[in-house]
Amino acid sequence: MNIEHIFGFKYRIPKEGKMRVDATFYASESILEDLKSEDYASLQQICNVATLPGVVEPALTMPDIHWGYGFPIGGVAAFDPEEEGVVSPGGVGFDINCGVRLLVAELSREEVDPYEGRMVQDPRKNRLADALYESVPSGVGKGRKDVGFGRKDLQGVLVDGAGALVERGYGEPEDLENIESNGRLPGADPEEVSDRAYERGVSQLGTLGSGNHFLEVQYIDEIYDEEATRAYGLSLGQVTVLIHSGSRGLGHQVCQDYVERCMEVAQKYDIELEDRQLAAAPIKSHEGGAYLKAMYAAANFAFANRQLITHFTRQAFASAGFRSKEHPLRVLYDLAHNNAKFEEHDGHEVLVHRKGATRAFGPGNKELPERYRPVGQPVLVPGDMGRYSFVLAGTEGAMSETFGSSAHGAGRKMGRRRAKKAAKGRNLRRELEDKGILIRAASKATIDEEMSEAYKDATEVVEATNGAGIGKKVARLRPLIVVKG
Amino acid sequence: MIRMLDHTADVGFEIRASSVEALFDVARLALLMTVFEEPPEEGKDEDSVRLSAPDLETLLVRWINELVFLIQGDRFVPVRADARIQETDEGSFSLEARLAGAPLEFDVYGWQGEIKSATFHGLDVTKEGEDWRAQVILDV
Repeated sequence: MNIEHIFGFKYRIPKEGKMRVDATFYASESILEDLKSEDYASLQQICNVATLPGVVEPALTMPDIHWGYGFPIGGVAAFDPEEEGVVSPGGVGFDINCGVRLLVAELSREEVDPYEGRMVQDPRKNRLADALYESVPSGVGKGRKDVGFGRKDLQGVLVDGAGALVERGYGEPEDLENIESNGRLPGADPEEVSDRAYERGVSQLGTLGSGNHFLEVQYIDEIYDEEATRAYGLSLGQVTVLIHSGSRGLGHQVCQDYVERCMEVAQKYDIELEDRQLAAAPIKSHEGGAYLKAMYAAANFAFANRQLITHFTRQAFASAGFRSKEHPLRVLYDLAHNNAKFEEHDGHEVLVHRKGATRAFGPGNKELPERYRPVGQPVLVPGDMGRYSFVLAGTEGAMSETFGSSAHGAGRKMGRRRAKKAAKGRNLRRELEDKGILIRAASKATIDEEMSEAYKDATEVVEATNGAGIGKKVARLRPLIVVKG
Repeated sequence: MIRMLDHTADVGFEIRASSVEALFDVARLALLMTVFEEPPEEGKDEDSVRLSAPDLETLLVRWINELVFLIQGDRFVPVRADARIQETDEGSFSLEARLAGAPLEFDVYGWQGEIKSATFHGLDVTKEGEDWRAQVILDV
């Protein structure tokens, strides 16, 4: 593979063979070593993306790049509908609109963790952990029994997203302005969502899911940028809650349905697929349009899902005795890291696919809430359950270099079986408790598979992102309580 | 034969059997081994599946995804499958299967986490000599 170092953290793979455009990637030396050790398999994937019709230069990967299905995780690619550009379900992912939401409490660490992690049996902290675990079902099959959504209600959710939940009393109107796209992608059509997708999703609204999804109570333990911190209303020691979840079985099914549909029509549209999971259809085709409408519907389900989880998180805090003077938990921001959206870049409207990558609009962008506009969009980068997560800000650099995109997390470096083997003989729950972190999980297997060592270090990703100028460090978050499926 | 693959981000398996129907049944078993620490072996409930696909690989993906739905959606764990796979005149494939199953019990069987989908990545169904072989990666 021909890799050119441009400068700093930026590298280029010049187009060759069937690539229509160059690929650009961002990496530190250590990340580059990781890429080399896998024979550049992930970079080959972005080169494959660069072969698709209508791709706008460059095809990109973020510093948290790792191998995915079709697109690499951390992949960003824009397509021009006027140049026969395509939409690819694999460029969005199975978990459509998976994303993270950060809530900010009017609480300090001392109020939630007065013993600073030194007392595992701290009753208040344990009460909060138990309340959160009870309030937010995490695994599959554990659908909510307290909230009933029939098919008709669900159709409304698929059209209106988070707003549909706020209308029903699950949240505040001001929540919506701090969600990307106000918690709703317009153009959704529930009719393009299959019956099977409805069946899979109907009982899962308000649930976390399993795998790397989580709900985490944290506190801000370091501030890097005073101006952005002030604009976001953050302060040192403040308690936060990070929610990572997506569109659950409904989104998974929509992706499944349309990957197959796009595979079927690839020949009809003369689309040569270097990888079947890159299956795509022209944006302006019937099939492309149908996928977009279904994808928006699934995306709205994900926004609504995080909204409902927020409602029950607020209830859990209240039931555990943490009642706020004004508002229990404020939505700082909610952003997605798996979707495709029409955006204007360099004067052209293009369809930007972000798969395991985050929108990161810079200062001045009118899509942002007014009080965030001077400093740029909050960008949330979760780490693993034993280490830090981060708040960054979108930058001008992201707008000019990466279609306004940034990193989304750290990614695994160890398979689940290997992680379980490595965990044998260890009590990971106790190890986390020794760090002052309480964990609530459905099983030991979940904790073992999600051990810190199974993940790359988010700090490394954030340093590369910051160094590359495509996300600016604002604050660091340290876990106190982790809830997993 | 089932060999579980240790995929970095997801899970997968490589399987072998003496016939294509047996291969699909081994895929069922491999799926149960992925999803449960100790999958059930007996069950009195019944269900059936009918699928078709343009090729065997797509058929295998659809089969696994159907079983995932039965487990995660209908809470029916397929402990036995009696499948018939036929090639049509047009070169596509159909599958009809009768299933025996047990109700899903998370704690009893040791639930290991949900499956999003079987994927087409690294997907392979081939005849090697007298045996059939397949490889599948699942997104979790």
